[in-house]
Amino acid sequence: MGMSRISPQRRRDVLVAGACGVFVAAMIGAAYAAVPLYNWFCRTTGFGGTPQVATAAPADILDRKLKVRFDANVAGGLPWRFEPEQNSIEVKVGEVVTVSYRVVNESARETVGIASYNVSPPTVGAYFSKINCFCFTDQRLKAGETRDMAVVFFVAPDIVKDSEQDGVETITLSYTMYPARQTEPVRGENGAAAGRS
Amino acid sequence: MDTIAKAHGEDQHDHPHGWRRYLYSTNHKDIGTMYLAFALLGGLVGGVLSIGMRLELMHPGLQFFHDSHMFNVFTTAHGLIMIFFMVMPAMIGGFGNWMVPLMIGAPDMAFPRMNNISFWLLPASFTLLIISLFVEGEPGAPGVAAGWTIYAPLSTTGHPGPAVDFAILSLHLAGASSILGAINFITTIFNMRAPGMTMHKMPLFVWSQLVTVFLILLAMPVLAGAITMLLTDRNFGTTFFTPSGGGDPLLFQHLFWFFGHPEVYILIVPGFGMVSQIVATFARKPVFGYLGMAYAMVAIGGIGFVVWAHHMYTVGMSTAVQAYFVVATMVIAVPTGVKIFSWVATMWGGSLEFKTPMLWAIGFIFLFTVGGVTGVVLANAGVDRSLQDTYYVVAHFHYVLSLGAVFTIFAGWYYWFPKMSGYMYSEPIGKLHFWLTFIGVNIVFFPQHFLGLSGMPRRIADYPDAFAGWNLVSSIGSYISGVGALVFFFGVAHAFMRKQRAGDNPWGAGATTLEWTLPSPPPFHQYNELPLIK
Repeated sequence: MGMSRISPQRRRDVLVAGACGVFVAAMIGAAYAAVPLYNWFCRTTGFGGTPQVATAAPADILDRKLKVRFDANVAGGLPWRFEPEQNSIEVKVGEVVTVSYRVVNESARETVGIASYNVSPPTVGAYFSKINCFCFTDQRLKAGETRDMAVVFFVAPDIVKDSEQDGVETITLSYTMYPARQTEPVRGENGAAAGRS
Repeated sequence: MDTIAKAHGEDQHDHPHGWRRYLYSTNHKDIGTMYLAFALLGGLVGGVLSIGMRLELMHPGLQFFHDSHMFNVFTTAHGLIMIFFMVMPAMIGGFGNWMVPLMIGAPDMAFPRMNNISFWLLPASFTLLIISLFVEGEPGAPGVAAGWTIYAPLSTTGHPGPAVDFAILSLHLAGASSILGAINFITTIFNMRAPGMTMHKMPLFVWSQLVTVFLILLAMPVLAGAITMLLTDRNFGTTFFTPSGGGDPLLFQHLFWFFGHPEVYILIVPGFGMVSQIVATFARKPVFGYLGMAYAMVAIGGIGFVVWAHHMYTVGMSTAVQAYFVVATMVIAVPTGVKIFSWVATMWGGSLEFKTPMLWAIGFIFLFTVGGVTGVVLANAGVDRSLQDTYYVVAHFHYVLSLGAVFTIFAGWYYWFPKMSGYMYSEPIGKLHFWLTFIGVNIVFFPQHFLGLSGMPRRIADYPDAFAGWNLVSSIGSYISGVGALVFFFGVAHAFMRKQRAGDNPWGAGATTLEWTLPSPPPFHQYNELPLIK
């Protein structure tokens, strides 16, 4: 059927429907575009307790003191023991601090893990900056190996300018060790266990 | 008129008869009828599930369910079925298909064959959802128990069995069905209005459908994207919502509610349109503030896209972000208020006739206002912190949906039943249905406010004895509503057996839209000569 047999009315219908179809495709695209955008948004603004990555220490150290608690978890499917050296410390705002976490591979095989991290309350993410962290890279541990891993962080001095953070006395830095890059589908070898333990 | 209808019908030898008439149907009225029948089936299944839940919650302890998993399978299926297989098919596929072409003076929908596909995707979708109830979800237990919101990680690592995959594919089909339907409605309304039927002369029901299908076009693809990500996370090792691979489960909540909030307007806005037609008809007055009514729906739809995070106040947003969502949410009360007051103003000074459709419409206005007020309460981030995930929320959204949307569906049903079937329903049975339902649902849901305020959480099969009293009352209410539903089905059967002719326009001078100029039921193809609108 050639174009000549399509009535002008029909052409208008196809035009409107086509525009709607393009729109639907664009919205599906937008849903997928939200994934990198959300990731970028969290990293940039500290939204949802996403700590910042810093390359240099802040210029000044303030008198305000905060308690920083350290939390360590191991997700199912990873035969590791994982704990902070100290449960909590007092830091001055702007002071660069190094703390250590210890991880032990309790199994008889080499395993690879990577830590996810965030801080609580979620609104201090923008002011919690890490200069270095074991969570930036995969950790590969031989059978039975023990490793001490460092986190270098500071609480950014800008926190005192944000009135919403005035009531904050304690910040909790939390890590969860996962088996590195789950390539199996969820119902694979570490399926049910992963969600439940 | 009846003979004219027959004569028209016999002119049309080109359409198939018997089962082919429906399976291959390209006729907007036949497809609308199938949608309505499908919605009745969906409502029946969803309603039985809800009474199952109320049976369990009638007393503390576990009576009917062995564990809370199965109870939550019921809540999940109840929600999904009522949304996708009852309210949407009834309002958009059913009344929309039937009445939009009639009201704008069009012979049919713009893409009749696509209309057929839209409908027949739904039974397939429903079948997939039913299958999901019987295959493994959580380890060793059948069905999806993650709620209609299917939040990750409960819907990913929490449900290793294939039940969630079936539910996701079911939603894909339901979404495709409604997107195709939406494209069809937009094209029909833009291109096929009769001469003189300008946008600003369209009946408000057509306006309400137009707003609704635009919401579908914007929101549904986002759900499709989000659940596709869930599907690949579950089966193909992607990590969109899996922290171990750099994903974030919170992203799913954002995507879901970007769809989910407009979705609740998709469920109610066609009802706004129906109530406007019905109130004007039975007050024998044109609707008060026509343009305000039309653009209030546009405003509600538009603002509905920028308030989604009020479903997520407790996920740890900064005060500024929460404040924005509080204000944006409360702004919706303004166009909604415009609508409520305009309905009241339409009735004011009108020559009111309390026929069954009008009772349902007035019942809707009252109950929707109650649900709207609790919605404004919940919009406050501070209050929501204590009410999040309690029965107060359940009471709120059932007042706007179960009592709001469903009341408009029944209002529309009684209003257009004479037009669609050609038969008059029985007023006493219709009124009995209304009063049983009105009393029943209020007994179900009003006490749930009290339960929520005293802290009873949603989605639990068992509760402390302290909540026993109001739960008993609530359950009794659901049985009364159940009896109301039986009266409804009896009334439908009664009307078809009694065969009392309705005539072209049983409602008199108040019914001014084009469908009342046609015979009841309308001929198989209408408007062979397009009506001219002055």
